[in-house]
Amino acid sequence: MKKDILSVFGIALILAVLINGTHIETVEEYYLIHIDDITPESETVTLSIRCDTVLQNYGDLPPSLRDEEFVPPDGVILPPTEYVLREGDSVFDVLLRAARHERIQMEFQGANKSPFGSVYIQGINYLYEFSLGPLSGWMYRVDGEFPRYGCSEYKLRDGQNVEWVYTCDLGRDVGAEWMGESQN
Amino acid sequence: MKAFKNFHPVSLAVYFLSVLTVLMFTKNPVLQAEALVGAALFLGALQGVGTLLSDAPFYLALFAMTALTNPLFSHNGVTPLFFMNGNPVTLEALLYGVSLAATVIGALILCRCFCDVMTSDKILYLAMAASPKFSLVLSMALRFIPMLVKRFHRVERAQRTMGLYSGKSVSDRVKFHVRVFLSMIPWTLENAMETSASMRARGYGKYIKRAEKIKNGKNVKNVKCEKKKRTNFSLFKFTPRDAALIFVCLLSFGISLLGEAFFSVGFEYYPRLGALRLTAWSAAVYAVFGAVTFMPFLIEVKEALVWKYCVSKI
Repeated sequence: MKKDILSVFGIALILAVLINGTHIETVEEYYLIHIDDITPESETVTLSIRCDTVLQNYGDLPPSLRDEEFVPPDGVILPPTEYVLREGDSVFDVLLRAARHERIQMEFQGANKSPFGSVYIQGINYLYEFSLGPLSGWMYRVDGEFPRYGCSEYKLRDGQNVEWVYTCDLGRDVGAEWMGESQN
Repeated sequence: MKAFKNFHPVSLAVYFLSVLTVLMFTKNPVLQAEALVGAALFLGALQGVGTLLSDAPFYLALFAMTALTNPLFSHNGVTPLFFMNGNPVTLEALLYGVSLAATVIGALILCRCFCDVMTSDKILYLAMAASPKFSLVLSMALRFIPMLVKRFHRVERAQRTMGLYSGKSVSDRVKFHVRVFLSMIPWTLENAMETSASMRARGYGKYIKRAEKIKNGKNVKNVKCEKKKRTNFSLFKFTPRDAALIFVCLLSFGISLLGEAFFSVGFEYYPRLGALRLTAWSAAVYAVFGAVTFMPFLIEVKEALVWKYCVSKI
């Protein structure tokens, strides 16, 4: 019986650790109602999310995604909007805050799970990587340039312009030429 | 009397393969429910309601585990229920988990029916054409687990009779079961070796040399050697009933897969639940596939009733 009590204790301990590590929020708690107000002295960045390339390849889209709710007719998921830049914010932090405020669905792979040590954006607004073939997914552009590292590694400065764009061809259709370099 | 077992092995193999393939490929809840319920009733008819009920907790636990695991890893879907560690747990992911669980449990139950219906002799008969070695290995592999379970209980009972491991502590019991299990493995593997040795001793799968004198040849030394494989004896007869079963199975297989690809039988869970559209084609698929999945159970029930009736008349 002693052994049984020990094992019950062990199971209870594991459960306690699991429950302690789980943070549960309701839908209302998760989506931010209020976001930092822009004051004259606050630093800001502009963020936009677009999926124009999806419209160009609309025929290849799975039927379940062919809906104006998932692919807006003008390709704009989030028009250029100004957000307050907090100290040390990366591209990912701003995107996450914007998505939680604008109620945009988003799924990402955490930095601890990625082999590159950076957050990877799997899907925004139900448009996922590989939704339009093996070369499709989300990429980001800062002031017109595609940075060569993950979005949680890129620290933003005041006044920068961040664009998230959906590519169907490993970046070549949105103007990122370097993605194909290693193959050539 | 097991009526469904009396079909020809080829028909039975076509039946199981077609139902399993449709079950593995479809995401349509109607087809999944038909396959799951049909297989469960079939297993109940084969092994008795008691066995089915005693196994039910295992199936239900596996079902719940599979269904609940999916929303932890898949966050797609338009209806978030709550957020866990910053990730949405959505209704769509939960329902997709239920669909996955139905596929897994349905396939599991159907495979148990397969093991019960397709006895070693039928598997040998079917796979003989491909390769005698392969057929023997296949029949031994399929028999492995049931034999392991049977022998496990035998060893367990013997140990208990000797008064060993009568402690009520959970950890003691776990230790006891592990010990019994470890003793099982070499015994069962040894059995496989013995089987193959015994089959070899009988000349299983060997060529036989048949010597024939050449006609009109006076020279006795001039003998023609002909190589011929040994054949297996079997009592299986292919009747019109078997042909009908094959036809119905292939029909349901064909229209299900065609419907899945082209005619609105397909079903999507992400990002928004699809709608079940009732067209002529999908109604036909539901009806034919339903008939195929429930047929074994109905045949068993009919046979049991006939048997009862005959017994009552004696």
